[in-house]
Amino acid sequence: METWPFWLAGLGIGAFVPLFALTTGKALGISSGYSEMCALARPAGAERWKLWFALGLPLGGLLATVLSSGGAQVTTSSSDMAQALHLDGAAQLALLALGGGLIGYGARTAGGCTSGHSIVGLAQGAKSSLIATLGFMVGGFAATWIAVLLAGGVQ
Amino acid sequence: MKPVLFLGAGALFGFLLSQARATDFAAIHGMFRLTDLHLFGVIGVAVATAAAGLALLRRGPTTALNGETISVKPKPVHKGLFVGGLVFGVGWALSGACPGTALAQLGEGKLYALATVAGILAGTWLRQRASAPAGNTARSC
Repeated sequence: METWPFWLAGLGIGAFVPLFALTTGKALGISSGYSEMCALARPAGAERWKLWFALGLPLGGLLATVLSSGGAQVTTSSSDMAQALHLDGAAQLALLALGGGLIGYGARTAGGCTSGHSIVGLAQGAKSSLIATLGFMVGGFAATWIAVLLAGGVQ
Repeated sequence: MKPVLFLGAGALFGFLLSQARATDFAAIHGMFRLTDLHLFGVIGVAVATAAAGLALLRRGPTTALNGETISVKPKPVHKGLFVGGLVFGVGWALSGACPGTALAQLGEGKLYALATVAGILAGTWLRQRASAPAGNTARSC
């Protein structure tokens, strides 16, 4: 199975939001699931479902890979990242960890991520989520172009 | 709360993220380089579909199938939205992942995403430590 065209993937992700709410009563959100991972030692509270949801995500990634035309395969470095930014090995892992740190810090500062703000929040027409999503996009564009220029410019 | 229900929902969402290529560094890099508009299309269709579905849901039941009250509300406006968004966006572009896709990448066999996930946990912890009142260690790692 190949990956889906944009409209099918968009329909699937978009339909997931109301169906998840209808089934569980919850609004989809993922970044706060990392707070639950940080709170594992504490008794389970009302947010514990986010931990289980987060743990389900890798299973879905695995299923997609098993069903893909290429089949399951394990990689320890990103060839895309090596090609785009000329980074490999330890330097690549360091940039991934730094990027991850900014994601975690930024998501907790903004109170949500691309799922909670940019899908669920925008779908509700929330002003807060529009502001956060503008931040995601401006930050992403700026960092991409600076990284490309530092890595040797546009080829 | 049934763990298996949320585990299954997470698996379905992870599958959708993979099928959308939201777990693909090249797709995210291409979106910000404006050389591959695929993910803009995914987000646009997803938001429109979710908006229509949530509008329908507002006319329907107030109780979910598991008996809980359906609670999907806009998040409050506060000062951290744009600044936090900027920081998040830089991380999104550098790592080619977001909190959900980093975990889906692990399932895809992209073991380098362990570095991203560890970073997200560290950033979450740092931010919560910075904002927690003195002596309150709740939600810290």
